[in-house]
Amino acid sequence: MFTRRDSYLSVLVWLAVVVCLALISACTQRGTANPGASREITDDAARRVNVPAKVDRVVSLAPNLTEIVFAVGAGDRLVGRTSYCDFPAEAKAIAEVGDTLHPSLERIIALKPQVVLVSTASQLEVFTNQLEGQNIAVFVTDPHDLEGVFRSVGQIGEIVGEQDQANLLVQKLRERTNAVEAAVKQKQPVRVFYQVSGEPLYTAGHDAFVTDLMRRAGGDSVTGDVPGAWPKYSNESALAARPEAIILPSGGSMGEANSRVAEALRQSPAVLQGRVYKINDDHLARPGPRSVDGLEEMARAFHPDAFKK
Amino acid sequence: MIGTASEIVVSPAQHNRVTLRRTLISCAVLAAALLSAIVLMSLLGSEQLPARASLCALASFGTSTCGLTQDQFDILFQIRLPRIFLAAAVGGSLATAGAGYQALLRNPLAEPYLLGISNGAAVGTMIALVFFGAMEWTRPILAFTGALAATLAVYRLARGRAGATPERLILAGVIVTTFLSSVIVFVTVLMDATRIRSFTFWLLGDLSGTSKALLPVTITITIVGALALTLHARSLNLLMLGERDAFDLGVEVGRVRIVVFVVASLLVGSSVAASGSVGYVGLVVPHLARLSLGSDNRISIPAASLGGALFVIVADTVARTVIAPRELPVGAITALIGAPLFIYLLRRS
Amino acid sequence: MLEARDLTVSYDDRIAVSDVSLSLNTSEITAIIGPNGAGKSTLLRTLNGQLSRSAGTVLLDGEPIERFNRRSISRRIAVVAQEAELRFPVTVLEFVLGGRFAWATHSGWGWETERDLHVAESVLRETQLTDLSARLMNELSGGERQRALMARALATEAPILLLDEPTANLDLSHQATLLRLVRTRCDQHRAAALVVTHDINLAAEFADNILLMKHGRTVHSGRPEAVLRPEILQDVFEIRVLVDAHPVTGGPRVTPVHEKLI
Repeated sequence: MFTRRDSYLSVLVWLAVVVCLALISACTQRGTANPGASREITDDAARRVNVPAKVDRVVSLAPNLTEIVFAVGAGDRLVGRTSYCDFPAEAKAIAEVGDTLHPSLERIIALKPQVVLVSTASQLEVFTNQLEGQNIAVFVTDPHDLEGVFRSVGQIGEIVGEQDQANLLVQKLRERTNAVEAAVKQKQPVRVFYQVSGEPLYTAGHDAFVTDLMRRAGGDSVTGDVPGAWPKYSNESALAARPEAIILPSGGSMGEANSRVAEALRQSPAVLQGRVYKINDDHLARPGPRSVDGLEEMARAFHPDAFKK
Repeated sequence: MIGTASEIVVSPAQHNRVTLRRTLISCAVLAAALLSAIVLMSLLGSEQLPARASLCALASFGTSTCGLTQDQFDILFQIRLPRIFLAAAVGGSLATAGAGYQALLRNPLAEPYLLGISNGAAVGTMIALVFFGAMEWTRPILAFTGALAATLAVYRLARGRAGATPERLILAGVIVTTFLSSVIVFVTVLMDATRIRSFTFWLLGDLSGTSKALLPVTITITIVGALALTLHARSLNLLMLGERDAFDLGVEVGRVRIVVFVVASLLVGSSVAASGSVGYVGLVVPHLARLSLGSDNRISIPAASLGGALFVIVADTVARTVIAPRELPVGAITALIGAPLFIYLLRRS
Repeated sequence: MLEARDLTVSYDDRIAVSDVSLSLNTSEITAIIGPNGAGKSTLLRTLNGQLSRSAGTVLLDGEPIERFNRRSISRRIAVVAQEAELRFPVTVLEFVLGGRFAWATHSGWGWETERDLHVAESVLRETQLTDLSARLMNELSGGERQRALMARALATEAPILLLDEPTANLDLSHQATLLRLVRTRCDQHRAAALVVTHDINLAAEFADNILLMKHGRTVHSGRPEAVLRPEILQDVFEIRVLVDAHPVTGGPRVTPVHEKLI
């Protein structure tokens, strides 16, 4: 039976629907195109991104990208970072927008950046539509090896208008890299196991950024041809690999989590000869300028005699 | 619910009845299969071991290397064999717990995961890992506490005027499971990125972290739990046909219920603490046991325990060899085997 | 054998049974009849110890029932309910053997003895289920299932039988068969039976005593002729009845008189 109360209810429902529709359309208003000058740069996801000619408000959604922004001298133009972006110290003063995987879209938009730097394509789908609707460019830069880092530095330098600084930085980094590679060139590569975590046992695979670094540092990662980036590894194979050195990325943002060698490796030549090296994880897992620090630290660990000064 | 029994030739009822002899024979067969599995699966792994030498070393119980190198010997006895025993303990525990729940709740679909018990144990273990990381022994204890707490929550939620009917229990279990799943996701998100990966893997079942100290405890709990539930098998037979009827016929329903809940929580807690949540074992194995050997718990509970151990040993061997040297979570394999099997079983009934 | 004195049972702030006394004696069948909600089943369930009472006593063989543990009660009192939950496949023989649980030496574990099998086979014969003993319970018809429930109760060899509406789902011939079984048990094995039923005429035919209840209280009790009188019945059931003599048995026959629905 249709009562008066029912008719009031249906009016309310209709009102609610109308209001929602209005809100939705308001939220998806496409911003008017900025008539100011802009340029097109191709990012690592093969997208041609429209970036304003002059960029002074940037948000970085990855710790390594934050480091690169500061390293090219554009730290003053960074207006937003993730909670993991802790280097350099000045970065901590910048507003947080959440974490790498789930940043707050609202916060980003409220900061009114011109460009948002992201490091993985997975963040892309979530953001692109909404941010570009707000006239915010999303730029993907995703280095997988050291060459990629140099390229990233260049790209970011171009975006923020610090090409000279960027080029200088890349040049310096290349010099250091070449020096390391030259020093270890004649040496027999050291068989190394990179332990991401001991229990459960995770290591660096073929696609991991650090695998390239280890190779350049004169190491031969025993898991270098395992498919994937961070595979879960079999204890047996780790034991059978008999690595001569073990890298334990620790400290930095990782804390003391990975401070013990995995059970399966306790009898390895690396452990028996005391060649277990704890290196700051931020130098190894963040593809950025400090990766060359990591490169040097690993090279020194693998071939100490090549660096006697 | 009719299984294959309706298709057997109808011989005099006496011969279909479960007797001590039939039980011993079935268990002996399963135990033999389990032993063979332990030996055979220890020959398989991401590293190739010489078969004959390995068998010889196994036969000598590790006293002689039989020509294996030190590394091969270590792989066999320090890594593989403990892992296989852990798989057996985890599988046996989960299958036994599942059989117990199914009998008590009179529902063939009752399972530790579905009832929220596994998640309760997982939350307990996570608390132990985060706050008492180094002290391994806190894990099974907190896992057991979590499992028991989840059981109590489920029971409380399910209590209605007509008592806790199986339907209400399962519904309450689903509520508790989903709530605890959110808690787990919440805690996982709060952790830093490096731990998230390993936790996600663990939540799907990971037998690679065989702790030398905890393994004997886990095995003991499996055996004790299976024995405890088997010793109540006759009561459970009656309970399976109705709590009121069981009461009338002399079963101390309240006491048996407590025993099953506590023992099952212990079993689930110890296996989740050791290896995360391995799904489907508690559902599929008891089902298969009943289907092939009858609903009498005196035979189906011990059969489920042995069968569960066998099932997880095989599943784990697949998990650690199929993409060697990488590993898959064993829960993924049990689900891959278990889910289609379960659908098939459902359709048959 | 089983006696209740001034029994009061209440739950959920509702008094289900109030001040009821009855006594089950050897070789006697007592029927409890009354409208819905009279408390008949509650009374039955209190007598076997399942429901707890608020006041009064229950005496089993002269002793307060609290003195007995669960299994010894089950050896003395057997309950025949209306239906069994059959979620798992079980054969008729296995089902009936369930009645031997109370005689197991170890609670919870153990195997059936020769005696158990012997008793099971003889009750299967009594209930004419021998040919069906290998079949699964849920393959049986309603009547056959009820006989199986009866067989299980008889297998307990308990001298006191409590039957809760045992004829509810049975057709005419099976109703009579079942109650005849009860009668035989009482006569030949000196059992005592309490039958809760809706069927007044069946009660009149088979019961030695009738307890008439309404709203948890005893309205009248005694021999069928004494209880089944039109004034009493009309008052309790709020419907007009005709009571005459059954043409064959001579006992009271109750016929409700319905107003014509115009």
